[in-house]
Amino acid sequence: MNILLETIALQKIYKVGKIDVEALRGVNLRIRQGELLAIMGPSGCGKSTLMHVLGAMARPTSGKVMIDGENITGMTDNQLTAIRRKKIGFVFQKFNLLPTLTARANIEVAQHIHGQAAGSDHDQHLAKILQLLMIEEKMGRKPFELSGGEQQRVAVARAIANRPAILLADEPTGSLDSKNSEIVLNMFRELNRRFKQTTILVTHNPELVAYTDRVIEMRDGVVVSDNDPIPRDTESELVQPARSV
Amino acid sequence: MYKKMIMAGLAARPVRTTVSILAVTLEVTLILVVVGLTAGISDETAKRTEGVGADILFQPPNSSLLLALSNSTMPVALGDKIREIDGVKAVVPIQTQVNSTSGLEVIYGIDFDKFNEVTGGFIWHKGGRFSAPDEVIVDDIYALARHVNVGDHVELLNHKFKIAGIVEHGKGARLFIPLQTAQGMTGAVNRASLFYVKLKDPDQVHTVIERMKQVFPTYGAIPLREYAKLMMSTSMPALDAFIETVVFVAVCIGVLVIFLSMYTTITERTREIGILRSLGASKQFIVGLIFQESAVVCLTGIVTGIAASFLMARLVTLVFPTLTVLITTGWIAKASVFALLSGIIGSLYPSLRAAAQDPVEALAYE
Ligand SMILES: Nc1ncnc2c1ncn2[C@@H]1O[C@H](COP(=O)(O)OP(=O)(O)O)[C@@H](O)[C@H]1O
Ligand SMILES: [Mg+2]
Repeated sequence: MNILLETIALQKIYKVGKIDVEALRGVNLRIRQGELLAIMGPSGCGKSTLMHVLGAMARPTSGKVMIDGENITGMTDNQLTAIRRKKIGFVFQKFNLLPTLTARANIEVAQHIHGQAAGSDHDQHLAKILQLLMIEEKMGRKPFELSGGEQQRVAVARAIANRPAILLADEPTGSLDSKNSEIVLNMFRELNRRFKQTTILVTHNPELVAYTDRVIEMRDGVVVSDNDPIPRDTESELVQPARSV
Repeated sequence: MYKKMIMAGLAARPVRTTVSILAVTLEVTLILVVVGLTAGISDETAKRTEGVGADILFQPPNSSLLLALSNSTMPVALGDKIREIDGVKAVVPIQTQVNSTSGLEVIYGIDFDKFNEVTGGFIWHKGGRFSAPDEVIVDDIYALARHVNVGDHVELLNHKFKIAGIVEHGKGARLFIPLQTAQGMTGAVNRASLFYVKLKDPDQVHTVIERMKQVFPTYGAIPLREYAKLMMSTSMPALDAFIETVVFVAVCIGVLVIFLSMYTTITERTREIGILRSLGASKQFIVGLIFQESAVVCLTGIVTGIAASFLMARLVTLVFPTLTVLITTGWIAKASVFALLSGIIGSLYPSLRAAAQDPVEALAYE
C-alpha cells in the first residue's frame, strides 16, 4: 500500500528564552493512504506539534518528514504553503471558522485559496459533503449563529472541500458535548469510508479509539505504542531506523 | 471571493472603517480645497490685474511678484521719470495695502485722475469719485458680499471709510482709497508700491521695458499680461511651498490613520490570518488582502473626498462671495494618487508583519 506520511527520527525543539523544550524526541511513523487513525496521549506529550509538522505548518528541528513523497525538512515557507494548499485539510479544537463570513463563504475562501475553479463535478462533491454532514440548510449562517457541533461540521466541510489527501484533526471534539462528539466522529469515519482521504484524529479522549482502525499512543514526545494492522516489513523495503526509546 | 472577505472584514468593524474613510476624505478635501483656494485667488487676481488696462507693471527692486506681499516702496516722483521714457503714455502710482480683518483684501491707494488715464476709467454702478480723504470706492462684488451701499461706512485698516461709489469689478483691486490717505496711514508719504504704465502702442511693451531697464536697472518692469499669467499658475515659490506643506500634512494624516487602522486590524485578526495560512494561503495572499482592504478604504475616501471638496467649494463661495475655489481635474487626479499612496505606505508595515507571522503561533493567538 501507498505510504503517504512518514517521519524518521523526527525531532522538534521549541526555544523558550534560553530553555529548549523538546516537544518531539524522535518520532518514527508510517501512515498509508486512506488510513483512519487516532493519535492519543496525555496533554503536553506533543500531539499538536506532530500534527503541525505532518500538516506542513511547521518544520522539524531534525529528522525527516515525508509528505506524499516530499521531504519538508528544508522547504521554504512558500513550498510548505503549497503543500498545505494542495494536500492538507485541518480541523481544530476551536473550530476556527472565519467569524465575519457565512458558513458558505468560509468554504468558498478555502476553494478560492486552493484555486479550485467552480465546476459541476466540484459542486457535486461539495453537495455530497454538506449532505453527509447535514449542514446544507445552515450555509447562509455566520459562525456565531451556529451551535458548536454545527460549526465543527462546517469546519470539516471546509477542510475536505478541496479533496485533500490528508485530513488532520486536532482534538476535533474537544469543545463539543458527548452527543455532538459522537455525531462528528461518526462523520469522520463516514467521510473516510466515502472519500478515502487519510485521516488522523488527535485526542486525549479514550472513547475516540472505538472509531478508528489504528491507534498510536504518545508520551513525552515519543510513540510508545502503535497497533499498526499491517506489519512494517511486509510493505516496504525501506530500512526501519532504530527507535529512540 | 477576496471582495467578500474584504467587505465582511470592513463591515465587522464599522467605526474603525468609517473613521479611516473619513481620514482619507479629510486628506483629499484638505488638498483640493486649499489648492483650489490658492488657485482661485491667484486666478482671480490675474483676471483683475489683466483687466486693469495697463501694459506694464513697474515695481521697486527685489519686490515680490505677489502684489499683496510687497512692502518696499519707491518715490512717487519716479513716475514722472518713467513718463519721460519714449513710448509711455501715462503712469499711475499705486500704494497697495492689505486689509486682513476678514479674508485677504487688497486695497489700492490711487491717484484718481491718473488711474483713470491708465485704465480707461471705472464703470460706475452708483455714486462717484472721492470727495474727501476718508472715502473709499468699492467694486460691485464687494458691495454685494458685504451688503453695503453708497454712503455706508466700512472699517478698513482700523479706519472708518465712507463709500463714495460702487464700480464694476476688474480694476486690480476691490477697494480703492485716495493715494494720500494710504500714504498717510503707513507713513510712507510720497511713496508708491508700484506703478501701472500705459503705452502709446501696446505692441511696444518689450521695447519700452528694455528702455526702462536702461534707466532703472535694479527695478522690476514686466508686461502686465505676463504678470497675470504668472499669477494664474501657482508657480510662485511661496505658494508652492504652502501647497507642498498642505499636501504633506494631508498625506501624513492619511498614512497615520491607515497605518493605525491596519495595524489594529491585523493584531485583532491574527487568528484569522492563521486560519487562512492553515488553509494554504501564501504570505503574498495575506499582503494582498490587507492592501486591498486599505485600497477599498482609500477609494471610498477619495470619492467622498472629491464630493466633499465640491460641497466645501460651494459653501466657501456662499459665505465669502469674493473667494473662488478652483478644483481642477489635474488636482483631483493628484489628490487621488496621494490618497492611494498614503494607503500603500500606511499598510506596508502592517501587511508585511501579518505575512511574517508564524502560522502555528497565529492560530494559537487568543
Ligand atoms: N510554541 C511553543 N513554544 C514553546 N513550547 C511549546 C510550544 N508549543 C508546544 N510547546 C510545548 O511542547 C510540548 C508539546 O506540546 P503539544 O504538542 O501542544 O502537546 P499536546 O498537543 O499533546 O498537548 C509541551 O511541553 C508544550 O508546552
Ligand atoms: Mg494539543
